[in-house]
Amino acid sequence: MQDISELQKSYFHALCELDEKKTSSLIEGALAGGVKPDELLIKVVIPSIDQMNEELIMGQEINLAQHYLSAKISESIAMKLLDQVQTAGECPGCVVIGTAVGDFHGLGKKIVIACLRAHMFKVIDAGTHVSPEAFVDLAIENNAQVIGISSMMAHTATGPNGALGVRKILRERELEGKIKIMVGGAPFRFDHGLYEHVNADGWGENGLEAVATAKRLIKEVEG
Amino acid sequence: MTTGMERLAAAVKGARSDRIPVFCNLFDQGARELGISSIEEYYSKGENVAEAQLAMQKKYGYDNLWNLFFVGKEAELFGCRKIIFANDGSPNVGEFVIKGYDDIHKLEAPVELESHPQFAECIKCMEILVRENKGEQPIIAYVTASMTLPVILMGMDNWLELLLAGPAEVRDELIAKCCEYVRAHIAYQIKAGADCIVYANPFASTSILPMSMVEELSFPWMEKDIAGFDRGSMVFYCGGAAFNNVIEKVIERLGLLNFYLSPMADIAEGRRIVDGRGLVCGAFDDMKLLHWGREEIRREVKRIIDAGMPGNRFAFGVQGMPLGIPEDNIHYMLEAAFEFGRQDG
Repeated sequence: MQDISELQKSYFHALCELDEKKTSSLIEGALAGGVKPDELLIKVVIPSIDQMNEELIMGQEINLAQHYLSAKISESIAMKLLDQVQTAGECPGCVVIGTAVGDFHGLGKKIVIACLRAHMFKVIDAGTHVSPEAFVDLAIENNAQVIGISSMMAHTATGPNGALGVRKILRERELEGKIKIMVGGAPFRFDHGLYEHVNADGWGENGLEAVATAKRLIKEVEG
Repeated sequence: MTTGMERLAAAVKGARSDRIPVFCNLFDQGARELGISSIEEYYSKGENVAEAQLAMQKKYGYDNLWNLFFVGKEAELFGCRKIIFANDGSPNVGEFVIKGYDDIHKLEAPVELESHPQFAECIKCMEILVRENKGEQPIIAYVTASMTLPVILMGMDNWLELLLAGPAEVRDELIAKCCEYVRAHIAYQIKAGADCIVYANPFASTSILPMSMVEELSFPWMEKDIAGFDRGSMVFYCGGAAFNNVIEKVIERLGLLNFYLSPMADIAEGRRIVDGRGLVCGAFDDMKLLHWGREEIRREVKRIIDAGMPGNRFAFGVQGMPLGIPEDNIHYMLEAAFEFGRQDG
């Protein structure tokens, strides 16, 4: 049986190099060698994406390209492993995520989806240009605890059809205790206090923070 | 009365004027200024854009005019026919012209700009600006670099995947076609009367790409984009992304000396690196203008000017100024910039 900490180191190194083939072959080799898929997920895949993001953020060396591709690689491997897990792993909760009405910028959403899925969240991708009503309806339909709204532009982040619109509907339907709102995207990175002005419950500067925020909000709903 | 052109000329030379140049980038606000309720209608005529640029400059008193419609306009030149207009913000590209690698092979760079139907209104706008402005305010043109243009042609995610993991020959074919257009665009803007070219490339920032790619891919393409053009009127900008760590390389490899910093940049550090070789513009993070009050705005303007003004060769600027910013806040910011940026006292 392969030493799992050594495997994690090799996998982490391949991920930092954005070497998709190497990450896949390491995981496939471990599976063939008898390592269980859930162990690989929890001890290799998730710690590696976390470690990479933490190190890049700490060193202020994170760049969008690395963040996007590493999240995508991690998502792809996590989804393959999840398919092979016999018993359901611990799903932290469900997040409905999309971009606000009028916003067709899907990259940030893709990064966050990949990071959430790599952390075993159930994620409903609502797509781009999503109305507040559609966000809430999808959240109810899927018993989601969090609605994630991504915006690249100021008017879609702060306008009435973004988080403000979702908040209004949640309030009207008395769902604020059951469904929380998190936001992300360029306007929120430029102004860290902006999420409060759009009545969101939290925000994430990057995929890793989005995972932490989603976990916190789900705890609030369940607490 | 001192004109914006005189202030800019003084700042570039390191001389003093009545105050530092103050740039304010108002685009979609032009529709409101002319009382046109639809932003789509506003951008449909070059006359509208020119009239609004001239009117807003006079009303607020800042030091620039823009010959720029909206960023997605360049996608139209490459064949995009679906722009999504909103009435509360900037237009979006609604459909990407590149959906697969075949589209890259078929793509034609729009180089005959003066006869291109999608460029006709930009030409009209420029002609009016040049005629009416009479050399008083710098007319600024915005040129998107060849490494960045693919974002509006195929989407950021698809471009990143091609850039980082796709076939190099397809990637280079696309950038080369964009480069052809960029060179035609710069040539047109200079010939038509632009006083200043803002050369924008977020893909030169290490917030977007690793340094190795910036050095090995972005720089060679930037060299090609601007080869042979006068660098004195060009300003380097990374679309809001921070780039202090590449300034020295930009000076060495591209010969560009003027820099429009990111709002997230350390302005004093940027000044130290440029070291008086060119003009530095410190940018206000205009997202804050959406909800800040007068005192917060004044404090931030003062912080920027205090960090940048000592030693001259400094200008004050903003980012893309979201439409939702209250008019009062635009006035508060500008009055503070005019006051703290005084040089004749």
